[in-house]
Amino acid sequence: MKNVFKKVVSFTLAAALTVGSMFALASCGKKNYAKDNETIKIGVSGPLTGGAAKYGIAVKNSAKMAIDEINAAGGLYGMKFELLALDDEHKKENVTTTYSAMYEDGMQISLGTVTTAPGLEFKELSKDDNVFVLTPSATGDDIVEYSNAYQMCFADSNQGTASAQYFNANYQGKKVGVFYKADDEYSSGIYEKFIASLDQSFKSAGVETATFTGDGLDFSTQVNMLKDCEVIFLPIYTEPAAAFMKKGVGVISNSAIYYGCDGLDGVEAEFGTWDEFMAIPQEVSFLSHFNSKAESGPAYDFVQKYNATYDSDKEPVNQFGAAAYDCVYAIFEALKFAKENLGKEFDESTSPSDYCDILTEVFNSDSFVFHGITGKCEGNNKSDISWDDSGFVNKQADKYVVKPAN
Amino acid sequence: MSAFIVKFKNIKWKRYTNYIGISLVLLVFTVLTLADSLPQSTLFLLEKIGISIILSISLGLVVGFLGELSLGHAGFMCIGAYIGGKTAELLSDVGVEGIFALLISVVVGALTAAVFGFIVGLPALRLKGDYLAIVTLAFCEIVKTAFENSSKESFGGPMGLRTPRFDKHYLFIIIFSFILVCLAVMQNLIRSKHGRAITAIRDNEIAARATGINVTKYKLLAFIISAAFAGVAGVMYSFANSTVAASAFDYNYSIEILVMVVLGGMGNITGGIISATVITFLNVKLTTMLTGDNAVLKDLVYALILVLIVIYNNAPALKYVRERYNIRALTDKIFKKRSDVSYDTDDEGKWDRVPTKIKMDELLSVDVVVRESVIDPDKEGKE
Amino acid sequence: MEFLLTLINGVSLGGIYAMIALGYTMVYGIAKMLNFAHGDIIMVGGYSIFVFAATSFGTLPPWVSLLFAVLMAVIICALLGFGVEKLAYKPLRGASPLAVLITAIGVSSFLQSLAQVFFGSAAKFVQFPDLGSLSLGELTVSYSTLITLISTVIVMLALTLFVKLTKTGRAMLAVSEDREAAQLMGVNINFIISITFIIGSSLAALAGLFSLMNVPFIKPTFGSLPGIKAFTAAVIGGIGSIPGAMLGGILLGVVECFSNSVPTLAPYTNAIEFAILIIILIVKPTGILGKKRREKV
Repeated sequence: MKNVFKKVVSFTLAAALTVGSMFALASCGKKNYAKDNETIKIGVSGPLTGGAAKYGIAVKNSAKMAIDEINAAGGLYGMKFELLALDDEHKKENVTTTYSAMYEDGMQISLGTVTTAPGLEFKELSKDDNVFVLTPSATGDDIVEYSNAYQMCFADSNQGTASAQYFNANYQGKKVGVFYKADDEYSSGIYEKFIASLDQSFKSAGVETATFTGDGLDFSTQVNMLKDCEVIFLPIYTEPAAAFMKKGVGVISNSAIYYGCDGLDGVEAEFGTWDEFMAIPQEVSFLSHFNSKAESGPAYDFVQKYNATYDSDKEPVNQFGAAAYDCVYAIFEALKFAKENLGKEFDESTSPSDYCDILTEVFNSDSFVFHGITGKCEGNNKSDISWDDSGFVNKQADKYVVKPAN
Repeated sequence: MSAFIVKFKNIKWKRYTNYIGISLVLLVFTVLTLADSLPQSTLFLLEKIGISIILSISLGLVVGFLGELSLGHAGFMCIGAYIGGKTAELLSDVGVEGIFALLISVVVGALTAAVFGFIVGLPALRLKGDYLAIVTLAFCEIVKTAFENSSKESFGGPMGLRTPRFDKHYLFIIIFSFILVCLAVMQNLIRSKHGRAITAIRDNEIAARATGINVTKYKLLAFIISAAFAGVAGVMYSFANSTVAASAFDYNYSIEILVMVVLGGMGNITGGIISATVITFLNVKLTTMLTGDNAVLKDLVYALILVLIVIYNNAPALKYVRERYNIRALTDKIFKKRSDVSYDTDDEGKWDRVPTKIKMDELLSVDVVVRESVIDPDKEGKE
Repeated sequence: MEFLLTLINGVSLGGIYAMIALGYTMVYGIAKMLNFAHGDIIMVGGYSIFVFAATSFGTLPPWVSLLFAVLMAVIICALLGFGVEKLAYKPLRGASPLAVLITAIGVSSFLQSLAQVFFGSAAKFVQFPDLGSLSLGELTVSYSTLITLISTVIVMLALTLFVKLTKTGRAMLAVSEDREAAQLMGVNINFIISITFIIGSSLAALAGLFSLMNVPFIKPTFGSLPGIKAFTAAVIGGIGSIPGAMLGGILLGVVECFSNSVPTLAPYTNAIEFAILIIILIVKPTGILGKKRREKV
C-alpha cells in the first residue's frame, strides 16, 4: 500500500516536473514575443527534408542570401534582419508546430509556407495572431483568403487561365494533351482552371488526359496515351516532368510542344547535364514569372550569385528561390516605404501585429511598386510588381522557351 | 464515515495511476489555460500528445492484447477525421457549433470508424501475422486514395476538407477527457472476462478456441473498439486543424503509431501512454530545434534513437544490463525502495503484465515474476 | 496495339517489382522478418551506380563503365545488407518479431536521411548509354525492357536451382523450415542468414539498376514506393516462394499499367492494386503459391 502510494506520488511528481519544464519555456499568453528581439525576424515554414525538400531549401537559401545582402549593406536604417526557417516536411499537421515555435521565437514578419498544403493551415494561424504573410511560392487561391496574406507567385487559377488563353491564341487546330498529378492541389488546381478556360474547339477535337499520383516516376503508360498529341500541357513540377520527357523520347512526336507552368522552371537541371536535356527532341516551354535561363539582367545576376554562394549541384536554384529572394526585398522596400512615405515608426521589438498593419497598408497602397527579379525584366531593369487588395500579385508572366524543338 | 475511510483505504491505487496521472496533467493545464498563461505552442503540443495517446492506447488493444499486427491504424483515423470533420461542417451549416457539434461529430466519426474496424476485422479471422499486416496497410492506402480522389463538394479532393477548428485554448481539455474515457473502456475491458478472452486468443488461439472462447466475436470486438477510438482521435485531429488532407494518413503514420505501442511495451497501457508522449514530444522538439541546415539531421537522429532503444529493450544479449539499469530501478533508487520487485505482492491490476508468448519488452523493462497470490477471476471480471 | 504496348510496359515494370520481391521473399523465408529497409538498399544501389557511372564515364567506354558501376553497386549493397543484418537485426534474434520490424523501419529511415545528407533531396539524373530498341513490325520494345525481363527470369531460375541443388541452398531451406532443428543438424545459422542478406541485397542492387534503366532519376525516397509494391507482390505470390515473387511482381506491374491507361481509373491505381491484394489474400490466405502451414498448439 505504501509502495503504491509512493508510486502515485512519483508519477505525480514526474507529471508536475514535465508541466514545470514546459511551463518554464514561456510564461504568458498574449504577449509580444518580439519585445526582446535584437533583429527583425522573418519566419518561413517549408519542406527542408522529404520529397519536396528542394523547394524549401531553395527558398531558405535565397531568403538567407537576400537577408545577408541587406545586412551587409547596413540593414534597414541600421536594423538587421534574421531568418527563421523551420521544416514542415510539406505536411499540414506540422505547421502548428513550426508556426507556434517561430511565433514564440519572436517572428515578426513571415514568408508563410513554401508549398500550398501547409499554407492552408498557416493562413488560419497567422490570421488569428495578425501576422503578415508574403508567400514566395504557395500558389493556392485560398492562401490569400485573409487580408494579412499576399503572394509573390501567381495563384493557380491565374496560371490555369493564362495558359488556356495562350493555347486559345496560339495553338488553334492542334491536338491538346494534359498530363497532371491528380492528388496534388497545385497540379489539379491549375488543370481545372485550364480546362474551364480552354476554347470549345479544342474540346470538341478531344483533349487527351493522363494522370499520375504519388511519388512514382514510371510514366510509360501515360506517355503512350499522349503520343498523338501536338501540344502537351504539363502543370507539374520538374521531377515528374523530366521523367515524362525522358520516357517520351521516341514515342511522342518530335514536333510536339511541352508547355508547363512555373513548376516546370529548372526542368533542365533535372537532367544533370545540358547535353542530356538537349537530347529531348521536343520544344520545352513554360509560363513563368522567373527565367532562370536569362543570359543577362537581374535574373541572371541572381542565379550567378546563388550558384556562387551555395552548392548548386546539391541544391539547385529555381523560381521558388527567386520568389523568396524577391519576398525579402519586397518586405525591405515596403518597410522603407512605410517609414518614408507613410511616416510609420517601427524597430526590432515592434510586435508582429503592428508590423502586419504597417505592411498591409503599404501593400494595399497603389503607389507602392516593388522592383524585383521575378516578373518580366526588360534588359537590366528590374520588373514592376504590385499587389491588389485581395493579395494576388500583379506582374508580367512570359512564355519561356527553355529549348526549341530539335 | 469510517466505512468510507476503510473503503478509501482499500482502493487499489495502482490500478488508477493512469487516471490520476492524466487527470493531474489535465487539471494543471486547465488551470493554466484558464489563467490564459499557456503559449500556443504548448497548446498545440498538448493536442498532439493527447491524440497520440488515444491512438497508442487504441492500437495497443489490437497489437498488444489481441496480438495481431496492424499497419492500418491511420486509415481508421483518416475515416474519423473526414467523417467527423464533414459532420461538423454540416452541423455548422444548420447553426450547431461548439461543444455540441464536437460531441455529435465524435459519435458519428467513431461509429463510422467502428464499422470499418468490423470490415477490416473480417479478414483478420482468416489471416495471420504479416499477411494481416499487409492487408491493414492496403486498407489504409485504399482509404487514403478514396478520400484524395473525392469530389470537391463531398470531401474536398486533393485540397483536403476544410473543417471548423475548435477553440485552441480548450480543445486539449476535451482531448484529455477522451483519453480518460478511452482508458476507462480499455482497462475495464482488459480486466473483464472479455479482456482475458482476448489475451487468451493472443497467447494461443487454438487453445482458446478449445476452451470455448468465441474467437470470431472477440477478434472483431477488439478491432471494432480499437477502430472506434482511432476514429475519435481522427475527429480530434479534424478539430485541431483547419483542414484534413488524406495524404497525412499514409502507412508511415500507421508505423509511427505502431512504434509508440511497441516502445511502450506490448500489452502495457501505461507504457503506451508514456512512449506516445515522449515520441510526440521528441518529434516536435526536434522539428523546432534542428532548424535550417540541420533539419536534415532530424530523421537521422530519430532513426538512430529508435534503433538503439529497440535493440536495448529487446536484445536477448542485453538482458542483464537491462535488468540492472532501467528507469524503474532508477526511480526505486531515488525513493530508496527495495528494487527487488518480487517483494511486491500486490499484483492486482496487473493483467496487462501477464507473461505471454510475445515477449514483454516494456520501455520500463518490467520483469515478470511468478506471484504467490492467485487472482480471483470472478471478482476481477465484475469490475 | 495499344493493348499490347500497355502489356509490354506492365511486364517490364513487373520485372522490376519481381526482382525486388525476390529479395524480400528470400529474406522473409529464411530470417522470418519483414525487411522494411529492403527498398532503401535499392536506393543505395541506385546511388552507387550514379556515383560510379558518373566518375568512370569518359575515362572508360560506356559499356565497361556501366558494368563497373553495376558491379560496385552489387558489392556495396551486399556489404550493406551484411552489415545491417549484423548490427541491427542479429542482436534481436530471438526477440519479438515486432521489435525487429520496428528496427527495420528505423534502418530504412536512417538510410534515407543519410542519402539526403550526402546527395541532397533533389532527384539526380543518371546517365546511361542508349541501348536502343527492337522493332517488331509496329511494336517497339526497348532493349532495357528485354534485359530487365530476361535477367529477372535468369535470377529466378538461378535462385531456384541454388536453393534446390547446392548444400548452402538446402541449408537455407532447412533453416526456413525449422531453425532450431537445422541448428541441431549442424547448420551454421549465422552464416546462412548472412548469405541470405547478401543475396537479397545484391538483388536489390540489380533492381536499382533496372529501375534506373526504366526511369533514370534517383532520389533518397527512390526505394520506398517500389519497396512497398514489391512487398505487396511478394505477398500476392505467397511470401517465401521464389516463383510466387515473380508471378506477383508481373501481375502487379501489368495491373498498374492497365489501370493507368484508363483515365477514370488512373487516380485509383494504388487502391486497385491493394484491393487485388486483399481479395487474393481472402481467397488464398497465404498468397497464390504460398505454402499452407498447419498450425500446431
